[in-house]
Amino acid sequence: MIITFGILLVFFVILVVILQRIRYDEHSFSTYAVGDRSFGARYQAMSFLNTWYPGAMFTAFGGMAAASGVISFYVLSYSLLIVMLMYIMAHTVWVWGKTFDLKTQPDLFALRFQSHHIRSIAAVIGIISGIPWLVLGMQALGEMFRYLSLGALSFSQAVVLGVVVIGVRQIWTVKIGMRGVVISDYFQGIVAYIVGTLMLIGLILWLIYSKGVDFSQLPATHFSLPGIGSSEGPLYVFSLMLTGALGGWCWPYIFVRLFTANGVKSLKKSAALAVPLSMLFAVALLIFGMLGGALPEVAEHPSEVWFIVSHQAGGLWLLGLAGVILLAASMGHIDGNIQATGAQIANDLLGNYFKLDTRQLILFSKLGMLGLTLLSSWLACLELPALFTLAVLAYQGIIQLAVPQFLGIFWKKGNKYAAISSMSAGFITAVWLELHYPGSIPWAYGLTSGAVALLINLVIYISLSLLIRQTADEKQRVEALFRMIRHTPGQGQSMVSSVGERSAAR
Amino acid sequence: MPSSRSPVINFWFIFNAIVALAPPIYWAASSAPPMLGFPATLVYFLAVNVSLTASIVAAYLSDSRRGALE
Repeated sequence: MIITFGILLVFFVILVVILQRIRYDEHSFSTYAVGDRSFGARYQAMSFLNTWYPGAMFTAFGGMAAASGVISFYVLSYSLLIVMLMYIMAHTVWVWGKTFDLKTQPDLFALRFQSHHIRSIAAVIGIISGIPWLVLGMQALGEMFRYLSLGALSFSQAVVLGVVVIGVRQIWTVKIGMRGVVISDYFQGIVAYIVGTLMLIGLILWLIYSKGVDFSQLPATHFSLPGIGSSEGPLYVFSLMLTGALGGWCWPYIFVRLFTANGVKSLKKSAALAVPLSMLFAVALLIFGMLGGALPEVAEHPSEVWFIVSHQAGGLWLLGLAGVILLAASMGHIDGNIQATGAQIANDLLGNYFKLDTRQLILFSKLGMLGLTLLSSWLACLELPALFTLAVLAYQGIIQLAVPQFLGIFWKKGNKYAAISSMSAGFITAVWLELHYPGSIPWAYGLTSGAVALLINLVIYISLSLLIRQTADEKQRVEALFRMIRHTPGQGQSMVSSVGERSAAR
Repeated sequence: MPSSRSPVINFWFIFNAIVALAPPIYWAASSAPPMLGFPATLVYFLAVNVSLTASIVAAYLSDSRRGALE
């Protein structure tokens, strides 16, 4: 336990030294919330990966690969599809973000649909949906501490320790804001996805050459996907990938990555840098999980595959490193979630209805982060049997932002009535379906509740967009917004005065 | 800033979305015999993901070369 916890302590001290050296600046809320849009491609790429792949990748998806096999690869497919989507929308979102000083995802909704209330509706959906995942992330850290304590800590004690560690880490998230998140993501990302990938490759080789494991030892069911006549339904994998790919950009802490880059070129270059790394990491993790599943100890506890194999292959030292890698991945996700939520509480909830100056916005953002950290820490220490169900439900709910978000970016016709009605109806439908048919809908051929609701959401958005015509003013305003993205950023700036006054939805 | 991508890249992106999402393709992979000594579903997922990765890298290189990102 001294070795495993000692290695974690060394990592944490290095991280604190890095965080302490970061200059922090609160001259504007943009500086605090989006780091002054100052980050280049390498920081963007690592920050995206560190927020996107949480520590649960090693437990939940590593475990899924061990228990269920090749179906777990759907996570990689949708993780790469969302980068493709980023590449497609980077130009529009960044130019609008820079021109109108957008700081959060709901800011973009408010700009595009010129609605005061849509900002708060989108923020509430984002904040509520994010909390179960934050709590799950903290509990996953508890699982890690329990394993690394070699049985010395009970699960409750380990969860409390995990909460304390991640709570202490949030001191710097609250203090420095986005700059601290992105810079620490760079270090954490190198540890989690570069060192992590190298370790995974080493463990795969160990499994093959020392334990004699290969794919032929795995059951045939590990290589099949649900098709026609399967219990999951023929559209199950399609549904998982579609909702994953569209839903990825609905999470506020992912979307805000589009606002932290110092230009469109950096964003697009970050996509090109992130995808090879993302693919190597996830392929290594999933193949490792599948091969690890052949070990009898892993078959009994598939979600512990990362710890069991590391421990067997390299003893306590490698187990300690496995803990560091998982901790680095977890921190990136939790920090990003808390930072984005704090910014939304100040900017999109309080700031939407009260006139707040920069100092007040930053103060409320910090208080929001603090409150969220305390709330999540408290929830993580409770026994919540339905938490995972809530987290799944949250995903089905948050993807309902996808229709107004993507059609708002790529189609001029949408309006605020269509956006608010479609996402609200989609959210309610997803919740209703999930409550009445938990897990799967028997008549939907494997489509999840979120996918069915997405279809209804889409029909409503398109219908209302066509039925309720934009006013002449609104049409002109939207035309100008879209015209702006066909110009250079410099030319776009010249249109700010004509579009910006009417677009300032606040 | 010219935002249009090369038609080849656009086609590649659409192709990726279809092969990644279209159920008949992964149903077929699920019942196909091993390819190159590996299970067909594994080869399917690896091929789709290599194509996705290569297309994004190629899009960036193509846009850079055309000066579309300056």
